[in-house]
Amino acid sequence: MTTLKLTTALACAFALTGVGAAQAWQPTKPVEFVVTSGAGGGTDNFARMIQSIITKNKLIEQPIVVVNKGGGSGAEGYIHGKAGKGDPHRVIFGTNNAYLLPYVAKLGYKLSDLTPVSALALDEFLLWVNGKAEYADARAYIEAVKAKPLGFKMAGSQSKDTDQTLTSMIQDVTGAKFIYVPFQGGSAAATQLAGGHVDSNVNNPNENIGQWKAGQVKPLCVFSPVRLAKGEPVFEGKGWGDIPTCKEAGLPIETFQMPRTVWLPADVPTDSVKFYEGVLEKVSETPEWKEFITRTAQTGRFMKGKELTDFVAKDEAANKKVFEAEGWVAK
Amino acid sequence: MDNIANLMHGFSVALTTHHILLMMAGVLLGILVGVLPGLGAPNGVSLLLPLTFSMDPVSAIILLTSLYWGALFGGSTTSILFNIPGEPSSVATTFDGHPMAKQGRATEALSFAFLSAGFGAMAGVVLITLLSGWVANFALKFSSPEYFAVYFMTFASFIGLGGASPLKAVVSMGIGFTLASIGMDSVSGNIRLTYDFDVLLAGVSFLIAVIGLFGIGELLLTMEEGLKFDGVHAKVRIRDVLTTAAKLPRYWLALLRSSAIGIWMGITPGGPTAASFMSYAMAKRSSRNPDKFGKGEPEGVIAPETADHAAGSAAMLPMLALGIPGSATAAVMMGGLMIWGLNPGPTLFTDRPDFVWGLIASMYLGNVVAVVVVLATVPLFASILRIPFSIVGPVIVVICFIGAYTVGSKPFDIWLALAFGVIGYVFKKLDYPIAPLVLAMVIGDKAEDAFRQSMIFSQGSLKIFWSNPLVSTLMAIGLALLLFPLIGVARRGVRRLATARDQ
Amino acid sequence: MITRFRAEITTAAATALFGLGIVRGALEFGIGWDSSGPQPGAFPFYTGMLVTLASLATVGLTIVRRVAGSAQLQEHFLDGERARRVASFFLPLFAFVVLSMTLGMYAATILYLVFAMRFQGHYGWLPTLATALGAAAFFYLALEKFFQIGLLKGPIEPLLGL
Repeated sequence: MTTLKLTTALACAFALTGVGAAQAWQPTKPVEFVVTSGAGGGTDNFARMIQSIITKNKLIEQPIVVVNKGGGSGAEGYIHGKAGKGDPHRVIFGTNNAYLLPYVAKLGYKLSDLTPVSALALDEFLLWVNGKAEYADARAYIEAVKAKPLGFKMAGSQSKDTDQTLTSMIQDVTGAKFIYVPFQGGSAAATQLAGGHVDSNVNNPNENIGQWKAGQVKPLCVFSPVRLAKGEPVFEGKGWGDIPTCKEAGLPIETFQMPRTVWLPADVPTDSVKFYEGVLEKVSETPEWKEFITRTAQTGRFMKGKELTDFVAKDEAANKKVFEAEGWVAK
Repeated sequence: MDNIANLMHGFSVALTTHHILLMMAGVLLGILVGVLPGLGAPNGVSLLLPLTFSMDPVSAIILLTSLYWGALFGGSTTSILFNIPGEPSSVATTFDGHPMAKQGRATEALSFAFLSAGFGAMAGVVLITLLSGWVANFALKFSSPEYFAVYFMTFASFIGLGGASPLKAVVSMGIGFTLASIGMDSVSGNIRLTYDFDVLLAGVSFLIAVIGLFGIGELLLTMEEGLKFDGVHAKVRIRDVLTTAAKLPRYWLALLRSSAIGIWMGITPGGPTAASFMSYAMAKRSSRNPDKFGKGEPEGVIAPETADHAAGSAAMLPMLALGIPGSATAAVMMGGLMIWGLNPGPTLFTDRPDFVWGLIASMYLGNVVAVVVVLATVPLFASILRIPFSIVGPVIVVICFIGAYTVGSKPFDIWLALAFGVIGYVFKKLDYPIAPLVLAMVIGDKAEDAFRQSMIFSQGSLKIFWSNPLVSTLMAIGLALLLFPLIGVARRGVRRLATARDQ
Repeated sequence: MITRFRAEITTAAATALFGLGIVRGALEFGIGWDSSGPQPGAFPFYTGMLVTLASLATVGLTIVRRVAGSAQLQEHFLDGERARRVASFFLPLFAFVVLSMTLGMYAATILYLVFAMRFQGHYGWLPTLATALGAAAFFYLALEKFFQIGLLKGPIEPLLGL
């Protein structure tokens, strides 16, 4: 343990001395983008979109290689990042699972094995019910659920993940009690709701938009402090901006959002962190990125440095509270 | 007849020189990734995805789907020639395809495979054209209990096949199930059976098992036999391709039955791999001489290939209309759709008719292009067998291990492939059947998830599997498939008793 | 000399042990049935159990057949000649895997193909080197350049500036 600390200290010292000597850091070999989801997943789209923007605008001189390491809900990717300790050519793309996974499962990495770089967007969550359901708003739906504990099914993606955490929060503030059914992904949760096999889900906008357009599902409220950006109408003249926030609709959860995050391994030179921060900030300002954000109805928000670490600390604390209450924390 | 008009419009979108060239490029690239075991269609599609960001969506999807068709064909090629399934769905093709190649009938086996695959794909596309609306609604009726019933049917059809020692079949299938449950359990969120080894977090990839069990295991056996590989004597003539084509109509029943199974499994969530296994099982069961299966029976190639491609193309429908990816490749393409700004869903057909019908038209054209291209490569591939085995053998070894590494870029997978190779060799020598292991690995965890989701739905009551006409029918068919062989055995036993008494 | 009997017993014992290992691993997660159906460990537990029981039954059956004097079980699983052939293929293959880990997959590919063709297949140096270098170059161009997938690399590639 002591030797490890010593090497870490030494590595840091070298990194620090390197700062003065070298000019702004630049990648010297191909950069590896580690995606903590399988091909086709949300994080995969996020990373490949950034890759395409970087390549198109020539923001990084070296080629970029994308690798999917989605095993163990993404833990595989973060462990791969940990193994690249001190290597600034390994960039890891994820969500808040970077800091939440170690709580719910016994894993071979800790948050301190990663260096935060930035977050580029917040994925929003909405409460959806079947398009034919009679509930006019979130309050009516929650009342119905409260009247019949364990009589309503909430579909979500995975277990002990964002969807189930949010379900647990809803139960906590309202006293309602759902049966939570974990599916393999948001698209399965969407079709199960459209087919009327479950009563609601808390999908992200782009996971349910296809079904909403067809009127098979309808949104009740969005778990965000402010309404979503206006955008084009989706169904019967209503668009994203017309959906009330959950607080307005009588479901007192101020905010529940999932950051799309980027990390480096631990002990990388400070200059390399600055370099990627710079590149990603430029990415977040391109028209292509803005279009991607609008299309997927995410909220674009670039965070780095203190703002990011503060956000992480706050998000971590809120989730930890739920994990402890539900008894999900892995021993 | 709206659909026909739409399709004609689709042809006008898809039928340009630019698109035909894209199809040919896609098919050729697909054959390349399909031939390399491990790389496979999902990887190939995600690697090409960045290239498509700057294309218009119709061209992009034509390139990607053509690559998919090419990869499916490439996967069958290596199954037949070297007993290495390049794609999971071509495992069942090895059962009879490789014995045919060993007997010097590689050209025949390849031609049968490609032609019947083309037939299956066409059947799938015709269905999409004619019944898209109806099928999309039907697929919405499926929830976890129905999913489980479909997997149950697949197992039931395969278990009844018999053959090897039942105890050994149980061991083999059990190992497959347990391997499938390693890694993240999505229903409980627990990480199971990794014994604290990080390398097991992502589970044991099915592809690694196949590369080892089939590829390396087969090489060890071939070596032990003293390099007897009759492919050397095979004459490769383009005429053989044509005579094989002339023989195909004789198998019309197998073609139709396999297309039906494939389409069914493509629409329901069974997928191409389950479809090919089930189709093989049904072909063997309904055959007049089931003993020939596994020893180089053409129908054993035709049945899985037709079903595989029928399922592959029919699975595009739930992907477009519902946003359910029917296969790993479809999942990647769906990611692509979102990046191109298209949202899969019921309204995609009305919102973007150019795209949807262009794609469907391109599926007709793409498969014709693919069949022509791969048939042209048959002599080339078949002549690989004429190269002395002392060169081809080591090259296959290299391909297998490089393939194993490309699955997940993990050095551990190389060791795992080696271990599976030894297991495959020992199992084959001792008559342990390998097919049940593979089938259990592919759909074991999906079946488990569907079962446990159903139990959450019903709060622990098994009655949910008989709760509506659809799921009850599926379960009843599954039970019948499971029990029929037993009844057959019992009847034969009774008859034997009766004849014994007569004497 | 290994008889088929010994091979059968050893294999069945190995699969029985594998089954037991799974059973042990599954016990960690609960194997019962609660209101939400089977617990996470239940499915692996029962399949592991099934593997173990079927393996033990295979052992039993094999012993019974042996006692009954089955000729098949007396056969050689591997005789000298065959064992030599398998070993002459398997050992280089094993060396290839070890070399891949240490020298990287490209160097291992070249060394392995050279060994197999020149020293086992007795081909001339020219076809041997052409095949070995050709294969390595093909994989390099197809994977690293076209598909941008990196293979395992060793100490040699950086020296060549690749």
